Amino acid sequence: MSIILILCRKDFANFFRNKAAVSLTFIVPFALIYLFGQIFGVNSSDSGPRGIPLAVVNASANPAAAKLVDALKTEKSFHVLTQYVNPDQSTRPLTEADARALMQATDPDFRFTLIIPTDLISDDSFGLHLKILSNPRNDIETQTVYGILQKAIFSNVPALLGQSLQSSARKYLGASGAKQFNRRIATAVAASFGGDPKEIEHHIESGGIPLRRLNTNDPAPSGTATPVANPNSKIETQKSADIFSKIVQIDNEQVVGAKVKSPAATRIVGGWAIQFLLFALAASATALFRERDAGIFQRLLAAPVTRAQILWSKFLYGISIGLTQLMVLFFAGHILFGIEVLPHLPLLILVCIFAAASCTSFGMLLAAISPNAEAASGLATFLILLMSSLGGAWFPVSIMPEFIQQLSKLTLVYWSMEGFTSVLWAGHSFMQILPILGILGGITAGVMALSIWRFNRGRLFE
Amino acid sequence: MLTLSSVTKRYGSLTALDDVSLNIARGEFFGLLGPNGAGKSTLMSLISGLRAPDAGTLNLDGQPLTAADTNARMSLGLVPQHIALYSELSAEQNLRIFGSLYGLRGSDLSDRIDAALNAVQLTDRRKDAVKTYSGGMQRRLNLVAALLHRPKLLLCDEPTVGIDPQSRNAIFEYLEGLNRDGLTIIYSTHYMEEATRLCSRIGIIDHGKLHALGTLDELLAQLPFEEEIRFPANPETAPLAEQLAAQGELQTREDIHRFRPHPKSKLSDFYTFTESLGLPARLFTRQRPTLEALFLHLTGRSIRDA
Repeated sequence: MSIILILCRKDFANFFRNKAAVSLTFIVPFALIYLFGQIFGVNSSDSGPRGIPLAVVNASANPAAAKLVDALKTEKSFHVLTQYVNPDQSTRPLTEADARALMQATDPDFRFTLIIPTDLISDDSFGLHLKILSNPRNDIETQTVYGILQKAIFSNVPALLGQSLQSSARKYLGASGAKQFNRRIATAVAASFGGDPKEIEHHIESGGIPLRRLNTNDPAPSGTATPVANPNSKIETQKSADIFSKIVQIDNEQVVGAKVKSPAATRIVGGWAIQFLLFALAASATALFRERDAGIFQRLLAAPVTRAQILWSKFLYGISIGLTQLMVLFFAGHILFGIEVLPHLPLLILVCIFAAASCTSFGMLLAAISPNAEAASGLATFLILLMSSLGGAWFPVSIMPEFIQQLSKLTLVYWSMEGFTSVLWAGHSFMQILPILGILGGITAGVMALSIWRFNRGRLFE
Repeated sequence: MLTLSSVTKRYGSLTALDDVSLNIARGEFFGLLGPNGAGKSTLMSLISGLRAPDAGTLNLDGQPLTAADTNARMSLGLVPQHIALYSELSAEQNLRIFGSLYGLRGSDLSDRIDAALNAVQLTDRRKDAVKTYSGGMQRRLNLVAALLHRPKLLLCDEPTVGIDPQSRNAIFEYLEGLNRDGLTIIYSTHYMEEATRLCSRIGIIDHGKLHALGTLDELLAQLPFEEEIRFPANPETAPLAEQLAAQGELQTREDIHRFRPHPKSKLSDFYTFTESLGLPARLFTRQRPTLEALFLHLTGRSIRDA
């Protein structure tokens, strides 16, 4: 037994001497748990997604439509955009054409647009008509947005439907007839349940009363009857939703990616691709330490070879391996899941080159700031998991807290995924992906400059 | 051929080389002898351009030798202390890579690779991964990888570390042949036997300082005695040891007394004295002073203890 304990103690001693192992065991899980907690709002009284951009085009003159927009603006999950910003920074109300153009250009603020059409409340038929334009580039995000949007719309449906009823009544009974009808109803309600008949009549005319009771979650307007507590309220709410879904017509239109043959695979392939690439290139970066320890750099530098040539050869190798790996992965996705690669091949290769370059520069930075291969490996695991989660490879960035959404734009994972999505999902042109390539190129240049500066100050070549 | 003038190199507060001046002639087999950490590898790295000196100058064939001057490195070949080879690749692949770095191409490169592998008896294993080689084979390949471009000056940084005597001997013979053919060699080692056997001139270095420089005879002449007498350290010789302490320098290590008489002492007096003590002559062996003795004399410590 004592031998076992001695050997066990030896393992502990080795473990605590290995800073990379210690950090992987303790610091990485701590950091990731913190991050996931932030993403899912653990221990927060105000959990749930925040600030998902939602464009709203209000083409209806009905005051109820404006109320619906106001209601959406109070929904914390959404950041409602109703204005189009001109090049001179002046603004005007957003139109459906504006929204479509911006969505097709995959402007990050225009992934979902709620259209409130002119025929929101029709004189010819009972019910509401709405339209949602979407760019469902991320399945989780799309489901989340639809859920919250439906909840927000249905919360306001009673008032809107009341107005729809009033509109129909005016058409069939005439204005004076409808007013007379409302007054009689108000008098009857006041006689039966109490209240001021004039106030009740006003609420009926504004469409506030008739269906309010159906939604037991909403407080009744002042002066109206308060809903009676019902032990079967959940069932009642479900029934309300069923009713609403029949009388609220929501047209969904996928503006971007509608022609993608394998949407599910196309959505997720970018995230996985970039994670695999980061792990592969981080591993190749640790090869720098092996070459140093074997004295190969000493031999190379004694030949007519400069440090810069060694580093750039590693960079070129990283891009080549990265490009190959990405292309193999995308073609595997094409064969196995039907991801459309061939129609986008030239631009996909271009994005892969830039993504591989940025990932390679990340690997070079790891080697530049780490004292040895073990430390580089531990740091790589930590940073790759962190960047993948922050950058949206695991969860859509839009469901994360706003400050994390800002951080995510600093990661190469985010921009690489943007590039893959732009090409494979949105089918963008070269000019449209140029900004993404520019950002990836900028990240690469910045990180490589930092790496070379560190290499020159460090001891990798000594 | 190679001239170092007042070369100093520091790592933070540590002075790895302190005002070292050295002149190495063409065709010379120069040994750099010193213990681990003496500054040998630092000196090698300065000559090979891996590092730049903090002070002083290096000249190769009259031209300044700087870390930035990659052309000058065409004249140099470095055999690193480590097996600086790509272990997953074959011997041929390794040689092709290192030869290409010096601009060798095509049939010229292939011919040189064939000749190099033949010279170190690795032709049969040329396609095998280097990691499958024995330590001696790897050392031999490590050596010829520095020679493909036919350098004027070969730097060997402890090239025989960790190999068996047979392989070591093979490397010695190969290097001696190269030197006979006119190649200038700088050979760093902490093995006195290697420096004694191989080098026409030796520099003794310790703590970054070059303590002595010259041929073996010139160096040994710096010692104040010409011979060393060794005899076993045991109770039988204990009375003799006590008496000899006053007549010269007596050291005892590993049950052996090493006695170096004062220069004016007569050897006949020593043997007369031992006979008077009843000690037979067979107990005593006479040896020429060694580099180890010189190192001890110069630095105050044994090279093995350093």
